[in-house]
Amino acid sequence: MNKPKVAFFDFACCEGCQLQVANLGEQLLDILGVIDVVEFREVMSEKWNKEYDVAIIEGSITTPHAVDRIKKIRKRSKVLIAYGSCATIGGINGMKNNFELDEIREHVYPDNAKHFPTIPTMAVDQVVKVDYYVNGCPIYPPEFLKVIKAVLKGIPYAVPDKAVCAECKLNENVCMYEKGVICLGPVTKAGCNSWCINNGNICYGCRGVVTNPQEQAQNDIMVKYKISLDLMLNKMNMYNKCREIDKDE
Amino acid sequence: MKYVILKKNKLDEFIVNLSKQKKVMAPVSKGYNNYAFEEVTRGGQIALKYIPTILPPKKYFMPQYETVVEYDTKDGKQNMEAIVEYDEMILFGVHTCDLAGIQSLNVVFSDRPKDLNYIIRKNKIILIGLECNDYCDEHASCKLVNNELPNGGYDLFFTDLGDFFLVHVNTWEGENLISLTKVFEPADDIHMKKREKLRAKKREIFKNEVKINPDQIPDLFDRSHNSKVWYKLGERCLSCGNCTNVCPTCHCFDVEDEINLDLKTGKRIRIWDSCQHESFAKVAGGENFRRKAAGRQRHRYFRKFKYPVDKFSRYFCTGCGRCSRTCMADIRLKETLDDLIKESI
Amino acid sequence: MKREIIRNSEFEVKKGRIVSTRQMTKIEKFFEIALADEEPLGHDPGQFVEVSLFGVGEAPISIASSPTKRGTFDLCVRAVGKFTNALHKLKEGDEVGIRGPFGKGFPVQTLEGNDLLILAGGLGIVPLRSLIDYVRANRRDFGKVTILLGCRTPKDMLFGDEVDEWNKRLDVNFSCTFDKADPEWSGNVGVITSLIPGVNLDPEHTYAVVVGPPIMYKFVIKELLAKMIPDTHIILSLERHMKCGIGKCGHCQIQGIFCCQDGPVFKYSELKNIKGAI
Repeated sequence: MNKPKVAFFDFACCEGCQLQVANLGEQLLDILGVIDVVEFREVMSEKWNKEYDVAIIEGSITTPHAVDRIKKIRKRSKVLIAYGSCATIGGINGMKNNFELDEIREHVYPDNAKHFPTIPTMAVDQVVKVDYYVNGCPIYPPEFLKVIKAVLKGIPYAVPDKAVCAECKLNENVCMYEKGVICLGPVTKAGCNSWCINNGNICYGCRGVVTNPQEQAQNDIMVKYKISLDLMLNKMNMYNKCREIDKDE
Repeated sequence: MKYVILKKNKLDEFIVNLSKQKKVMAPVSKGYNNYAFEEVTRGGQIALKYIPTILPPKKYFMPQYETVVEYDTKDGKQNMEAIVEYDEMILFGVHTCDLAGIQSLNVVFSDRPKDLNYIIRKNKIILIGLECNDYCDEHASCKLVNNELPNGGYDLFFTDLGDFFLVHVNTWEGENLISLTKVFEPADDIHMKKREKLRAKKREIFKNEVKINPDQIPDLFDRSHNSKVWYKLGERCLSCGNCTNVCPTCHCFDVEDEINLDLKTGKRIRIWDSCQHESFAKVAGGENFRRKAAGRQRHRYFRKFKYPVDKFSRYFCTGCGRCSRTCMADIRLKETLDDLIKESI
Repeated sequence: MKREIIRNSEFEVKKGRIVSTRQMTKIEKFFEIALADEEPLGHDPGQFVEVSLFGVGEAPISIASSPTKRGTFDLCVRAVGKFTNALHKLKEGDEVGIRGPFGKGFPVQTLEGNDLLILAGGLGIVPLRSLIDYVRANRRDFGKVTILLGCRTPKDMLFGDEVDEWNKRLDVNFSCTFDKADPEWSGNVGVITSLIPGVNLDPEHTYAVVVGPPIMYKFVIKELLAKMIPDTHIILSLERHMKCGIGKCGHCQIQGIFCCQDGPVFKYSELKNIKGAI
């Protein structure tokens, strides 16, 4: 059997997820044993002009050019994976959507602004169909591996739709709220094995909001811990601003 | 009945000796009045005064991630070996509520069809209990379910009586530890009297925490299926599953396959699951038989106070209070029972 | 960590070889399976097996054939998710894993000597086929046999050739209805409940055996009770997420009942006071 042709692409992002892939170490060698990487800007200059079996997309869509480019990639790809928060949920690039587009463009490219058309930040699936998601900022390497295996096996991968708390409790972390710190674990999709909290950090919500966040219960908790709605939304919007695009539709 | 004593200043020697034979797991402090069972090698690491650990010792009996099958599908075959993986270990400092939790799991997994993975593993674990001289905190309801005193389920049982532990030797395995570690001394009448005094004091301290005769609980639940209490809980519940994860008797699980990169070999694993998660009772066709948080919370309570009473004649609530302690939404077991009682009058 | 091989683990799967397959509708596929050395599955009509594909997972599947069929057994699987889609890709000669049979099937001993009113809605025909074939193989042990079949459209009908045969047989009364008909269909149109009033039956000596989608039960049971069939004479099979098959994992639990062990087949009298069951 021919090894599947896999291409990595990046859009608006910090390329940190590529770094996670590069840092897989020995496991990366194992992956490279079963796939054929045909494009990966970070590590090779070759281009591939045929169909991709798998396109792995990092970054969010922020310009008209990016929209065209991702659509073209989608057309050439049998399977498309969005990986990293920027690609899966828009991520921190979504903070741009807090501002007027022209205003922000002029702020970044003062005199040359007119040469840089811009659009509201979108997650990849707000532009094209996505087959697999590897959420997280950065991606959680064991989950990336899991998804790669599912892709190769031709079976779907479902991102866990329960709260990070469920995994955090299994890791026996002391709850951040008991330490008096606000954590987005209760509203954020699990699947990262509560990576941040295991390492003493809080959850920033980088994997996106669970489908049914039980709003009444969340409100109660905010009241209990005296957290204002503004503060909570502010924290959530750091990664999850692009979700509003879906709501508007 | 055999009793020995262990002077407190010999505890360290005991633990050091034990850890030379097997892994020793005991409660350690995680800060913020949180505790967890972790591996120890010295007595000083152990939190002797602790409130129930974040996760109960069930994590050693039914691991969160447990290989049950190793498979190989090369040439399109479904070759497999069913396996069990285990560590031989000694659990030190298990409170009576958690001993009761382990007994509940024993009942479930020994009921036919038997779960051999569980049964094999449980027999590799030696249990050393530790008596609670007082309530751990306001969430406990151990007297309600008569778990403030030991009801068996241990190899050795320690009672802290000041400068020594009185130790009940319950099994041959326990006896073995006594003779191997050589740190125990015979118990005499004075020691026993001290324990009697403690137990008398405990009778004063531990009173049924909920205003109901425990025998009437199943009947209360029979009448409470449509109670408003569940709907109120449903509105407050986050469906995070913390209450079931920390419960010493909850044992629902999911089974998944983990593929190796060769896409041929791998293992089938059993992982913890929670009936509080929204998709728990969903079938492949899409129908969800416990769609609402209210129904899921009701199910959790019935699985503690009604169904196991009908089936096994025992409560699957051990009174440990973990579900109440861990709930961010402040869903409190004692309060729920009180509300049901109030409503039924 | 120590590792031991367990014999007779409940997680052990037997190898099953796919003897034949047939695409039945767009989304339903038929599989005939033989265990190694044609070892009999040893099931009762109405039981289920856990079918396993290592690397994909496991799913509970109703057994579609009667134990009177020797050497092989049948499954009919609708592709609805990860596992069933993967299963659909398999072909003759491929291997699957089998655990089970599990649960309590149709109480054939109780049914013997009585009239049978068999009601199949949609996929419900699949487990009922195990009973119908059993009854056909032991026809003289049963009284009058009536089969009512309800389907969305003629295109969705399963086991059409066998249904034709039931229709022709003199020892079986057969009626069928479609929710939506097509131009070629000249028979009944409507839901399955509409067929019940027209059935001539002796309620004391009739057992109704009903299998269909969850929504169907409420309505069908109402009609059957109106026909004066006692609730102990109404037999049904429940669909739940039977994950482990051994009454432990909790997914298929309805109140105190574990569908995988206590069911999936129940008498209505056992379920009528169990809220959430129907």
